[in-house]
Amino acid sequence: MYEEDVTDQRLESRVSRELCRRKLPDGGWSFFGSTQVSIEVTCLASMAMNSFAIDAVIRSIAALLRSQTPEGSWPAFVGDTEGSWVTALAISTLNIQNDPSDARERAFRWMLETRGREGHWLWKWKFKTADRQVNFDPEKYGWPWTPGANSWVIPTAFAIIALKQFTVCDRTAASEKRVRRAVGMLLDRACRGGGWNAGNSIVYGVPLVPHIEPTALSLMALQDEPKTPFIQSSVEWLKVSSSGCDSIESLSWSILALFIFQEAIAELQTRLALLMASPASIANNATLALGLLALRCGKMIHPFEVLR
Amino acid sequence: MTIGRRRFLSVGAGLAVSTTITAPFLVPKHYVSYRRALSRVAVLEAKEYSDDLEQLLFDGLTLFRLQIRGKSVLLKPNLVENLPGPVNTNAVLVGGAARAFLRLGAAQVTIGEGSGHQRDTELIVNSAGLEEQIRERRTGFVDLNRDEVVNVRLKANYSGLGSLWLPCTVLKSDFIVSMPKIKTHHWAGVTLSLKNMFGVAPGVKYGWPKNLLHWHGIPESILDICATVPVNFVIADGIIAMEGNGPLHGTPRKVNRVVLSDDPVAADAICSRLMGIDPTRVDYLNQASSFLGNIDQQKISVLNGNVGAEPTPFSVLPAFRGILL
Repeated sequence: MYEEDVTDQRLESRVSRELCRRKLPDGGWSFFGSTQVSIEVTCLASMAMNSFAIDAVIRSIAALLRSQTPEGSWPAFVGDTEGSWVTALAISTLNIQNDPSDARERAFRWMLETRGREGHWLWKWKFKTADRQVNFDPEKYGWPWTPGANSWVIPTAFAIIALKQFTVCDRTAASEKRVRRAVGMLLDRACRGGGWNAGNSIVYGVPLVPHIEPTALSLMALQDEPKTPFIQSSVEWLKVSSSGCDSIESLSWSILALFIFQEAIAELQTRLALLMASPASIANNATLALGLLALRCGKMIHPFEVLR
Repeated sequence: MTIGRRRFLSVGAGLAVSTTITAPFLVPKHYVSYRRALSRVAVLEAKEYSDDLEQLLFDGLTLFRLQIRGKSVLLKPNLVENLPGPVNTNAVLVGGAARAFLRLGAAQVTIGEGSGHQRDTELIVNSAGLEEQIRERRTGFVDLNRDEVVNVRLKANYSGLGSLWLPCTVLKSDFIVSMPKIKTHHWAGVTLSLKNMFGVAPGVKYGWPKNLLHWHGIPESILDICATVPVNFVIADGIIAMEGNGPLHGTPRKVNRVVLSDDPVAADAICSRLMGIDPTRVDYLNQASSFLGNIDQQKISVLNGNVGAEPTPFSVLPAFRGILL
């Protein structure tokens, strides 16, 4: 039964319908059925349904544009006024639509001004001299989850992807400088032997183990960088780890990353289809949208691919 | 009388300096107090994680004569990462607590957590073995990192944050039970029922980890959160605890105890003593004792069990040797 679902795309249609059914009246999505629009979910759902449910996508993009702050950023959810890491995800979403408004340009400027707190000279000095329990080079910083905090791997990876995509035809010196610095940060904070944890590689002398999601996102952020042995070993780690993963979210990120690195994803997609066989039972709309993106990976525009 | 410009400026500067110095002492640090005349604690013996824990917890909870009937209960375990070792509150204990509260007449028992490092909640819930407990115990799980949130003015002012976005599930619950794993902590000294409440801050706003709160001070944020989201009860998992480089990379330490209390400060004080740690030397516990509960042994009634410290104190990182008894 499941084979049939995969081959004739019935599962994808069912997931897509379920996602449409959960759309809020104003065009966005929440995580778990509340009325609080989440920008992350709205972006992932819009990406997943691109060119399959055009009306829904048009309405979700309109909702996205309405929720941009005057500073050019996006808050994590509608109702908040402070910009957050989802600004990068919103740029990637608008990149796919080639949105003609100035929303991306304003977001781009906000991104260039936002940095991890360790990028301030005072904190650079602290992390270089007094605070050495967490080994990292504060000269190499990226983006925080929320302004006022340190750089972390996942928001930095999303930011690199968004900036590389947005400036693919016109890389300014300022954006290139931020991207180089952020790429340096990802490599500096990578786990020994491959992969990434949330933000550090060593804490109190103990090497941290990699996680699937930050590893997949970091690899996508580094997709057009030289294929060093470290990147290759991270790809290998991701292949091995995802082969035994039974979580829709982590498995989906693995599929999206491994596809970009031209690794085989068919078996992983088959397992993902099994895990998603009953879309109505998947409560988290972000998981549903991400799973749909991974099921359709290879059949549609990859939302996190950087054109060269 | 006229005042010259120089005198005016010097008086003004003096006033500014004295206000800056004295203001922190004049502005109240907290606007609530949950301290009671006498706090109650029970220390239960349990040698392993088994289905017997349900009855053990039921009997233990009965000692407190809690008014649970018809209430919505939120169990807040400590689920940090999908790592081996005693990193998370054991799922069998959480399941046993859920069932025990249902038997006491709770209208609804929900398990809620917002993990600090791992964004993939499904991965943590599955690897911790909690999914099976949720299914069997007819309870639900809420991902506090992604729950609907509202902005709440904080009832204490240690962190300077002023307000926090907090999950509706937490705010609407009638009875909040903090279920920590007894562990040492490389930044805070110990992580027990108060520190466990860090997990109610939603990742969707504060990230993974909740690093903005780190910048405002871990102890300070703990105090502000616990003032705003009062803990009604504690069930601390000390059957297998963690010592050394906790909360992730420490070593297992068998204590064979489950600590119950109607006061989170009293619970943490008792757990600290079990660990061979002086709770008054853990900065945030000491501060908490001024308004969140009792740390003084004279104000803690032990209903059941033995609170004697472990014969060998828990090993701690060098920075925390000063907190040992």
